[in-house]
Amino acid sequence: MFEKLKFFLNVTGNNLWQFRTRNLFSVTIICLSFLTVGIFMSLANNLRATAKELSSNMTIAFYLDKGLPAAGLDALRREIGQPGFVESVRVVTPGEALERFRVSFPELADIVAGLQTNPFPPAIEMRVSAKASASKEVAAFVEATKRRTGVTDVLFNQDWVEKMQGFSRLAGAVGAFLGGILILTSFFIISNVVKLNVFARKNEIEILRFVGGTNLFIRIPFWLEGITLGLLGSLLSLGLLFIVINLFPIYLGSSLGALQQLLKFRYPDLNQAVALLLGGAATGFIGSATSVSKFLKV
Amino acid sequence: MIELHHIWKQYQKPYWALSDVTLQINDGDFYFITGPSGSGKTTLLKTIFREIFPTEGQILINGVNILKIRDSRIYTLRRTMGIVFQDFRLMFHKTVFDNVAVPLQVIGVGRKEIRRRVFNTLQKVNLHQKMWELPGRLSYGEQQRVAIARAVVNNPEFILADEPTGNLDPELAFEIVSLFKEINKQGATVIIGSHDRELIRHFGDNILFLQKGKIVGKEAH
Repeated sequence: MFEKLKFFLNVTGNNLWQFRTRNLFSVTIICLSFLTVGIFMSLANNLRATAKELSSNMTIAFYLDKGLPAAGLDALRREIGQPGFVESVRVVTPGEALERFRVSFPELADIVAGLQTNPFPPAIEMRVSAKASASKEVAAFVEATKRRTGVTDVLFNQDWVEKMQGFSRLAGAVGAFLGGILILTSFFIISNVVKLNVFARKNEIEILRFVGGTNLFIRIPFWLEGITLGLLGSLLSLGLLFIVINLFPIYLGSSLGALQQLLKFRYPDLNQAVALLLGGAATGFIGSATSVSKFLKV
Repeated sequence: MIELHHIWKQYQKPYWALSDVTLQINDGDFYFITGPSGSGKTTLLKTIFREIFPTEGQILINGVNILKIRDSRIYTLRRTMGIVFQDFRLMFHKTVFDNVAVPLQVIGVGRKEIRRRVFNTLQKVNLHQKMWELPGRLSYGEQQRVAIARAVVNNPEFILADEPTGNLDPELAFEIVSLFKEINKQGATVIIGSHDRELIRHFGDNILFLQKGKIVGKEAH
């Protein structure tokens, strides 16, 4: 068994080396295809992570009428704190709001100092659990509370969470679509490269048949060849992806301004990296197996 | 034992490459199949190692109808045979050793055993000193000896050789057939397709004469 495996690996290695130019070409194509998939995957990763971050920090602010009596404010506070998805409720007084503004915008300190009266209304801030942040239940609750007496306005960033999640899905879909087309291209390229290799080794295959080689014995080196090409291509694409992720912020990041946060790439996690590698191996195997079964009549 | 019963083969209408060939080759026979070009020698040999199917007829090898063996199991038949071609069919990018080792690698023989058997076989054909050479650097006679070594390395029951001396000068041809004779003495059944009358006259124990696909004569000495 070990002898045979060694023999197959030896034959595969020799064959890969013998037709190195065309094999290098197919590895390059596979690499570029999987790099495209990887880039969109890491972009989608970032958008998904941003959406998660936004939803985990989601705070809904209910701005109240300045003339709302303390009892009314208290009743509203209790009511807002009741639903299960609420993590915490906090009353922000006009004084606190002004102080936050002063801390957040120190460059506007002159304007704040020149104010005759405090323009900030009192508010109730509600933190929503990350799980429920994008749910319709929260939106319905906010909508209902907005109509309550004493509530003048609401600051609710659920739209952003939904948009981020939407972008993330879009990036994933674009990646899958483009990657799918390119992987299909790789598949045909591998298939053709293996076909050429089958033709180039026609004499050798015939000899193997005459000396009693089984179909499997003849096919295995071609399969291994396809798998190796696919694996090498996807491994190379992972390497390139890490380089792109590292170089992108240096060369392009600063010119993107506010978009930088959204167009940031995140490293693929272990599962994704393994999936890319296995995808490469599978593309290689299917490509070569198709070709071998079609053109190798043994 | 090889038995051919009423073998007919047609590639293209209305010509018959083989017409009603019935033949029995016993174990240990040294058999020549001869006839002019196009007489059906190659077709007959190809049907025996099931490279082609006859249009009609039955071929039994050791009692097994080889026409009923599934394609995926044809290797079981081929492992009992050593096949030698006129054009040698060597792998020119591999060494003499690698070429001869192939039938052993196919059946999963261990590396040490392969080395031993390949060396012994190359010694028999007097090529052991060129074991690591590429076949392209050898003479035609030496290349054919490599092909013979490959055919006999796993001690097959039958050796089938299709015009094995066709590319060689008379002296080398004589040497190659002597080699087959040696192999035959060690127990293998040898069937050679050849149109070289001189060789046949000298070595032929059993001779089958073919013409236009028909058996026109048999001789046994």
